[in-house]
Amino acid sequence: MSKIIGAVEIGTSKAKALIGEVSSTGSVHVVGMASRLNEGMRKGEIVHFRKAADSVHSALADAEKMSGTTVDEVYLAQTGSYLKGRMLRGSASVSSSDNRVSSSDLQRASDEAKRREPDNGRTYVHHIRTPILLDGRIVQDPVGMIGSKIDLGYWSIDGDDQAIKQALHVISNYSLDVKDLILSSIASSTMMAGPDLRRAGTLVIDMGAGVTDFALYRQGFVAYTGVIPVGGDHLTGDLSMGLRILEPYAEKLKIEHGKATSEPMEDGDDVWIIGNKTIGDRAIPRKAITDVIHVRIVELFEIISKELEGLLDPDELKGGVLLTGGASLLPGVEQVASKILGLPVRKASFPTGIANELAQPENATVLGLLHYGLEDHSLPGKKRDDTEVGFLSKFRKMVGLSAQD
Amino acid sequence: MSQDSLFPKETSFSPPNDLTGIRAKVIGIGGAGVSLVDGLRFDNFESVEHLAVDVDSRALSDSIAGEKLSFGRRHTRGMGTGGEHTLARKAMEEEKDIIRKKLDGIDIVFLLAGLGGGTGGGATPVIARLAREAGAIVFAFVPLPFSWEKGRHKMAEGCLSDLRKIANAVVPLPNDSLLQMGGKDATALECFAEAGRYVSKGISAICSMVFRRGMVDVDFVHISKAFNRRAGRTLFGYGQGEGKDSLRQAVRELLVCPMLHLPNVSKAADVLLIQITGGTGMGMAALQQVSTEIREEFNAGEHVVFGAHVDENMGDRVQITVLGATDLEAGTKVVDVAPVASDVISAIPKSKVAHPSKLKEKQRNSKSNLSNKKTSSKNNDKLDQNTFSFMDAENQRGIFGDLPARNIYAGEDLDVPSYLRRGVKIGI
Repeated sequence: MSKIIGAVEIGTSKAKALIGEVSSTGSVHVVGMASRLNEGMRKGEIVHFRKAADSVHSALADAEKMSGTTVDEVYLAQTGSYLKGRMLRGSASVSSSDNRVSSSDLQRASDEAKRREPDNGRTYVHHIRTPILLDGRIVQDPVGMIGSKIDLGYWSIDGDDQAIKQALHVISNYSLDVKDLILSSIASSTMMAGPDLRRAGTLVIDMGAGVTDFALYRQGFVAYTGVIPVGGDHLTGDLSMGLRILEPYAEKLKIEHGKATSEPMEDGDDVWIIGNKTIGDRAIPRKAITDVIHVRIVELFEIISKELEGLLDPDELKGGVLLTGGASLLPGVEQVASKILGLPVRKASFPTGIANELAQPENATVLGLLHYGLEDHSLPGKKRDDTEVGFLSKFRKMVGLSAQD
Repeated sequence: MSQDSLFPKETSFSPPNDLTGIRAKVIGIGGAGVSLVDGLRFDNFESVEHLAVDVDSRALSDSIAGEKLSFGRRHTRGMGTGGEHTLARKAMEEEKDIIRKKLDGIDIVFLLAGLGGGTGGGATPVIARLAREAGAIVFAFVPLPFSWEKGRHKMAEGCLSDLRKIANAVVPLPNDSLLQMGGKDATALECFAEAGRYVSKGISAICSMVFRRGMVDVDFVHISKAFNRRAGRTLFGYGQGEGKDSLRQAVRELLVCPMLHLPNVSKAADVLLIQITGGTGMGMAALQQVSTEIREEFNAGEHVVFGAHVDENMGDRVQITVLGATDLEAGTKVVDVAPVASDVISAIPKSKVAHPSKLKEKQRNSKSNLSNKKTSSKNNDKLDQNTFSFMDAENQRGIFGDLPARNIYAGEDLDVPSYLRRGVKIGI
């Protein structure tokens, strides 16, 4: 028996829907995927409900058509500058007389951590568990071990009620249930950084059109996540203003000639705005394009560096920095990032087994949603509440688009 | 005597001001404003008076302006305000009768003031209000501090929004953007001087319309009618061309004018003033063509004031100046594609103003034209979609101007291009 599961990312430039078929062996086949331009969103927030809903719905409809099935529930990615993360900690003393840790001890620690209410008007979007400490030592699964005190923490992200409700509403309008909200940065980083990289410590930066999401892993666990409301659209806007050209031409120049750092060899070159040298066409020095982009990219990584102050320790981040997302396609962006963050930076690559047409940086989040959603994130010693997918504790392999299993 | 020195006087097209009876006054307020007034260079508009206003009487004594007014002596004992704009505002309110006298009988007031300063920021909105009460139309050209001067910048923005509620047109000149002006290697000082030249150009353009007879004539009534509304957001640009293809070249330069691409500039205008000055070779047909083009570019509505002047000194040079304003109250409404010549007020000869009935008829006609156009243009609007999204009125922060909330991070608006905030000069 197989199960159909969906993932939706309402992105600033595109809405993406993905449908996966989970077979009884636990492997997932992507059976449908579609993306639609989204005009209802800016900088990761829905500004025009109808437009956003339309593009999500048509992406979902396309994906369903492609897969030949329908989907009942989806994982939904969340991003936007209204999201705020903080560390919640809880502890519990081991209750049994022989000092053996039981799963109820863990549950009590977890309950205590999550007891802290978010501020008025805000809701928790996502709790991400950090390591469990048994008497100060990190342990993977303390159940059955001897000790006296359990500490655990959650990196918890809360967001504005209204914004979250709107996103949920987009999905429920298509008569679908949202199975879980997953932070975009977590989704894309689980996709792009494998367990070994996360253990070594890594920072994954997902450069989208509207926002840049990032997640920092230390010792295999999330230590920090953040959203900077600056993305590829800002590059377009800057170019449009700096070169005094209309937005569509700025977008075209960015894609065709954009670079994050200038190469002295090319400084003298000019490029044409429209390219056909008609009236209104004008030559622009390559350097001007690069200059505009360079300042913005430098600023973006400076902000990330400031947000992560004290966490960018090369010894703790042996995995380096991975870049993904549509805007990471910009040539030279790794060099700039590396200079500012003081860490080796490279473009993230997808794990093997993903079809080429899917393995694009801009798909990292939506693919990651399925990946993360199917992983088991419950406390050790506990069964996953959802019995239907509970046995699929691992997301074993992904293959490319195939209409049927 | 060389010919050069003879020329300006002999070829001046300006009739003695007594004929028009219109009086204009340029008022510089505070340190930056006074030095802007002193730096103004425009020729033989005898009817334009210069007034320098400051609390700092010593700074005032260095000014070369025709009239000077120091105020706030009671509060500051003749020294500066130390950046306290509330102080300047209070002092100006207390002594408003003196300034009222200076504004008496003035029809056009140009206010020049650095809004980051205490005097400029505090007194300018008050003077603007007094001038409006006295029946003048008020144009303000206001430099804004760099965005890294955070406190000052914030204060200046507050003053700017106050001023926008009062003045007929406010042209902000942010220092961030002024750095982008001039040639590739221009220094900061040269860039600021460039800004001064833009201000001169703007004021001369308006004055030429009012005080000079031209090929296409505009009088004060047109201008005051067009700008007689609260106009929050403005656009202001200048272009110059030379040689055989000078008019075309001037349009091209106008469209890339840095002043038209500042973060605070509207890309569409409800009211648009176009002033073209050229040599004797300027043809009427070409002018018509250019004015239609510019009107479409700025998506200008019914109120277009178009003036053209011939100046023999220009030779084969052509200068185009545009000044436009968008009514903030009218807000998000996007104006229809520029209607054709029928409703260009400027096209109506001067004498017809005396017959209001005909004017009304014309406007009625144009209105019905407009509504016809609207229905027909609905269909082919799709084509222009991209252009239009860029042209939307609320374009304060480039392509993010339409968003309600500003993207503030550590006191800076991240939606404003980084190169502007960081003072990086882009050579295009």
